[in-house]
Amino acid sequence: MHKAMISFALDDDQRLLQDTVRRFCREVLREQMRRHEQQGGLLPEVEQAFAELGLIDLELDEGLPHRTAALVHEELAWGDPGAAVALWTPHLCAGALRELGTPEQQARLLARLRRGPDQRYGRGAVAYAEGGPGQGATVAVPTRGGYVLSGTKRFVLHAPQAELTIVFAQLDGGCQGMGAFAIAGRPAADPQGSFRLGQRHELLGLRAAPAGELVLQEHLVPEEDRLRGGDDFCAAARRVFARAQLLTAARQVGLARAAYELALSYTQDRRAFGKPVAHFQAVAFALAEVHMEVESARWLLWQAAAEADAGRLDLALCAGAAAHACEAAFCAADWCVQLLGGAGFMEDFPAEKWLREAKALALVGGTPQLYEQIVAAQVLGQDPEGNPEGAGLPSPRLQPFLT
Amino acid sequence: MIDFSLSPQQQIVREVAHQIAQTVLRPGSLQWDQQHRIPDEVLLQLSMLRGGFTQGEVPEEVGGEGEGVGAVPDRRHRSQANRIAVLGAEELAWGDASVLLSLPGPGLGGPPVRSMGTPEQRRRFFSVFQQPGLHYGAYALTEPGAGSDVAGIQTRCRKQGRYYLLSGRKCYITNGARADWVVVFATVDPALGRAGHRAFVVERGTPGFSVGKIERKMGLRASETAELIFEEARVPEENLLGGEEYYRGKEGFVGAMQTFDSTRPMVAAVGLGIARAAWEAARDFVRDHYLLSRPLPRYAQLAAQLAQDRRLLDAARLLCWRAAWMADEGLPNSKEASMAKAYAARVALRICAHAVDILGAHGLQTSQLVEKWYRDIKVFDIFEGTGQIQRIVISRRILREPPSF
Ligand SMILES: Cc1cc2nc3c(=O)[nH]c(=O)nc-3n(C[C@H](O)[C@H](O)[C@H](O)COP(=O)(O)OP(=O)(O)OC[C@H]3O[C@@H](n4cnc5c(N)ncnc54)[C@H](O)[C@@H]3O)c2cc1C
Repeated sequence: MHKAMISFALDDDQRLLQDTVRRFCREVLREQMRRHEQQGGLLPEVEQAFAELGLIDLELDEGLPHRTAALVHEELAWGDPGAAVALWTPHLCAGALRELGTPEQQARLLARLRRGPDQRYGRGAVAYAEGGPGQGATVAVPTRGGYVLSGTKRFVLHAPQAELTIVFAQLDGGCQGMGAFAIAGRPAADPQGSFRLGQRHELLGLRAAPAGELVLQEHLVPEEDRLRGGDDFCAAARRVFARAQLLTAARQVGLARAAYELALSYTQDRRAFGKPVAHFQAVAFALAEVHMEVESARWLLWQAAAEADAGRLDLALCAGAAAHACEAAFCAADWCVQLLGGAGFMEDFPAEKWLREAKALALVGGTPQLYEQIVAAQVLGQDPEGNPEGAGLPSPRLQPFLT
Repeated sequence: MIDFSLSPQQQIVREVAHQIAQTVLRPGSLQWDQQHRIPDEVLLQLSMLRGGFTQGEVPEEVGGEGEGVGAVPDRRHRSQANRIAVLGAEELAWGDASVLLSLPGPGLGGPPVRSMGTPEQRRRFFSVFQQPGLHYGAYALTEPGAGSDVAGIQTRCRKQGRYYLLSGRKCYITNGARADWVVVFATVDPALGRAGHRAFVVERGTPGFSVGKIERKMGLRASETAELIFEEARVPEENLLGGEEYYRGKEGFVGAMQTFDSTRPMVAAVGLGIARAAWEAARDFVRDHYLLSRPLPRYAQLAAQLAQDRRLLDAARLLCWRAAWMADEGLPNSKEASMAKAYAARVALRICAHAVDILGAHGLQTSQLVEKWYRDIKVFDIFEGTGQIQRIVISRRILREPPSF
């Protein structure tokens, strides 16, 4: 038995995995960074190489332990935040199915995310954010044998290639009237389809991972594909989003570390007024500041992950870790651009990309404002918006983008 | 294994320390602050608890419980002392930080005696804490002309027969007046810089050694801060820490600095204890009050600020734990110790200011603890190395070649 004890030590398996992923990131993701961004997707051989690591199978079979996931996603985002998102084909779906689905649904629907005959894994998408201003919420109307879904979902990551989409829609009553539905199969490209692709989004960052609108036009979802979340849908949905926050936190920590490392090395090589610019106190102190942000963000993530692994998933810790990591990443990326000077603004260096992507990651699956609300709801014992049921869930008024 | 749960021993320390903080320290806190002192009975009562949460301060060879803060653990027998120290410090400071700084014992003087002293010196200087009554050690580095720039100390030491004669002044020394002995840093020749530094244990009653002024301060008022005066003070040669041998090279200075690797995380944890107290007061206030018939939590900006502060507090605590864990594992941790101290001070200052903001007029009343915490917290960005000095330590360690500032 493992003895309880405050410890920051990786075990041997974790270290080995970290090394492996790190090598893949250095040799593959970093090399192809701009290419992936420009073509808006991954090279097949890169997807293939990542598949060989077996991490996606682990996620589908039993779910990566939270600490392992924290280490892996930090590394991947260190390599390239956009590719990190694109490579993770299950997205939030495996975890969401485990929380929201019955064992039968899990077995049936997870199969959609497994490796197909073409050797590629099925992609998962989660559609939460609603259509543009003036458009109402997506609704689910009960009908014989199922539900009829209508509405437009925006900012859906992986939407164009999704083999499985989990759609949140408004039903009556219950947790803000919300329900979740699984839709298997790709959205149609054909403009007449009842479940089809809308506009594809041109993104500020994370361009390697395509995102788009999904349009539901009286689309029938059979009863067996409604994800009821056991006895307490609300609580289960909260846990799904809490895990999404851990994922975001890990990616932001990786991005932040990448930006910090570049700033650290560049400022030691670049000279001005007869010495390395890092040797000016104003620059050195900024580096120290960024280093503290990056490290503290990682420890918050680890703490939230360790608690989750121990069966104590804590909403406030998860949201706090995500909020902190978003701040750290933005701080690190912003300083990185700044400390590289003009070079920071050029595409020759990844600094500008990281700055864009730190922003984009702060909009994936939630926003720092939402995270603060979740923490506030936990520490004050009530939702700041005054909605007792909504505490800890993205409310329709405060939506997570890019889910 | 990455883990943040507490071992049974860590758990007990935290609980006992919290109990004391709640039942003994909190109730007396405001009064002691106003009186600029803590009653001896209280301190005596607390000194009985040594061996509990301050466990390990006194080394085994003199009947103590073994390894303490500043001990160098061997690689096989890993220590928990530093983790226990930060856990206990946070809880006690939550009760009252001045009391924590005034707890009988070797205090900041302990780590240098432990890490630099010979076995004979350790026995001699620590045994006093086994005797009944209130006994203190202290640590005197700062001088009127040298604070951050430690290498610039001017207090001179000169050998004469079997004695060293010390001349100079030390200032802002915690527990300096009541200490049984003080670790004093002096130089054989300021021109030698660090290589000229020596550390002495100067005992109370040493001829030529006297106490000057006792400072009045913005905060931590119940903690004693004294000026020490050395006029050809006659210090026996046996009191040179580590003996002559120790000072080949620039060990003297390194000794003074090494102390910080274990004390900085602890000082950071003390600041966090105060900040947590202030944060809790702010949270309770928000939870329980109304403004214009609307419950305060409905004011989104207030709620968001509480959430942010709580997360920063957690982040700072983890930096402390990290530095303490490294010390326990015998890993070099100067950078991490400075990160813990710098970050905790920044966060704690912010949280205490927010608590005063949130409580509004309530927060400014001297009958309120938040007003006291706001005064107490400022010094955490000053002593044990200012925020700027911590950032110097951090940046020197992250850069390939250390810069010259
Ligand atoms: C309550 C209290 C208790 C204390 N207890 C003790 C004790 O027990 N023992 C002891 O030895 N000392 C003690 N001190 C002293 C404390 O450690 C010093 O005050 C502290 O180290 C700062 O030194 P200074 O006050 O001389 O400031 P200075 O060194 O004069 O610094 C002034 C300002 O300049 C900045 N600065 C200095 N150098 C640099 C640089 N290179 N780059 C950028 N900025 C710089 C500093 O950060 C600071 O903001 C105590 C102080 C207080 C307030």
